[in-house]
Amino acid sequence: MAVIEVQEISKRYGDQTALRRVSFSVEEGEVFGILGPNGAGKTTAVECVEGLRRPDSGAVRVLGSDPLRQGSKLREHIGVQLQNTQLPENIKVWEALDLYASFYARPRDWRELLERWGLADKRGARFAKLSGGQKQRLFIALALVGNPKVAFLDELTTGLDPQARQTTWDLVKRVRAEGVTVILVSHFMDEVEELCDRAAVLDKGAVVALDTPQGLIEGTDAEYRMSFRLVNGSAAEPSRPLESLDGVTSVSRTGDLVVVAGRGDFAALVTAHLARERVLVRDLRVDKRTLDDAFIALTGRSSDA
Amino acid sequence: MKILAKLTAVETKLLVREPGAAFTLLIPLFILVVFGGEITEGDTVLLPMAVTIAIGLVGLYLLPTTLATYRERGILRRLSVTPVRPGNLLTVQLLLQLVLTAAAVALLLFVGIGVLGAHAPGPAGFLAASALGTAAMFSVGLLIAALASNGRSANGFGVLLYFPLAYLGGLMQPADRMPDILASIGRYTPMGALRQSLHGVWSGGVLAPLPLVTMAVYAVVLSFVAARYFRWE
Repeated sequence: MAVIEVQEISKRYGDQTALRRVSFSVEEGEVFGILGPNGAGKTTAVECVEGLRRPDSGAVRVLGSDPLRQGSKLREHIGVQLQNTQLPENIKVWEALDLYASFYARPRDWRELLERWGLADKRGARFAKLSGGQKQRLFIALALVGNPKVAFLDELTTGLDPQARQTTWDLVKRVRAEGVTVILVSHFMDEVEELCDRAAVLDKGAVVALDTPQGLIEGTDAEYRMSFRLVNGSAAEPSRPLESLDGVTSVSRTGDLVVVAGRGDFAALVTAHLARERVLVRDLRVDKRTLDDAFIALTGRSSDA
Repeated sequence: MKILAKLTAVETKLLVREPGAAFTLLIPLFILVVFGGEITEGDTVLLPMAVTIAIGLVGLYLLPTTLATYRERGILRRLSVTPVRPGNLLTVQLLLQLVLTAAAVALLLFVGIGVLGAHAPGPAGFLAASALGTAAMFSVGLLIAALASNGRSANGFGVLLYFPLAYLGGLMQPADRMPDILASIGRYTPMGALRQSLHGVWSGGVLAPLPLVTMAVYAVVLSFVAARYFRWE
């Protein structure tokens, strides 16, 4: 069952197009990523789904409701962590959870959330005294305290150290295991690769690809690299230059180190070729194709640009 | 109802933890006590001045800074994706700031009359003048909150407005020792009108209509403009 259906939404600000006929749908229990460089329209798209913004055209249904017209019914069942929002400096962790729990008809027990999100010993701490990771965990806990069917998490690990990111990822996996559908907005490829079942890649306001992370990687046929060192004595040049093999785009050699770049199955062709020619190599390495490469191929930009 | 009660409880705690709230209670009290040594039973100047300062501090500083900070920190936005409407938070804040104003004024009356020995004003005139003055000053604060881009600039606007308004209102120098032109302008400022009305109340005469009308006009016009330009994010 589709929990979220977005059909051809467009949004303009003045002469700037923020969204161009964006469509996607999210199934129940999925972690769905919305991926794209800064300014690609990710947040605008999600805000249209949350009912914070009105698209100029197109339709949005969330849990069968229109977020703008049936917002009050819908807000009971969604949990949101917004980018760039804070709490009052002097509010204590338990007070924030207790307050937000009171907003919903069937909230979760916030004491249990406090335990689960590792905030139990920060229960009485003021918001201003929390670390970045603790604040982020509190925001996620606040997004979940209403017992939502759908949770929206926007750039949830931005500004966190690697340790805190890993912890946050583990927690998102637990949210998913509880059956909550998660919309994850991110510009981190590794995050999307790690957490999402499917992701839509946005660029300049339009969806340029929508697939599983693996599908995105394979579908874009991005260039990747392999390298090896020639073993002393077998430095004899192969009879046929590597450049002529299918998929190879460039070969560079520095001393005994050879780096070959290419697309598709070129790495297998190269290794087979070397074996046939009896060229002995060591330190053979084929780079794993990542979502980063796919992203650059799709948008012509690096994700952290 | 349960939600509003909880919201009020939490916001009250936050207000108590906010150092600005204590300042608005203590600064006018400090002024009253420092100058209160020379207070006589017939005094008609000192308490009106202290009460005007108290109402002005809440209206021009605390109210706009709090509201603009809530917007700046995205707290209103965050509320708008919950079942609670962010307007509830503004209402609760406004009521709390009114309660704080009432507390500050009550404290001044208690110390001024009970301890320093000034005479009590006529209650009806006092309530009417204070209520209109609070409405006028709060509407200035709401306008600042509507126009300021963040908490710090709201605070800056407050400071920038407070001192000229306090001076023109005759709170820094008695109005009869000010240049005529400034004194006449001062009569049409919210603080000047409030101080004058309170002075009238303490003097025991009939309340002059002009300052009351001045305050009412500020309250109506500025809250309307503030509501028109208020942004939730």
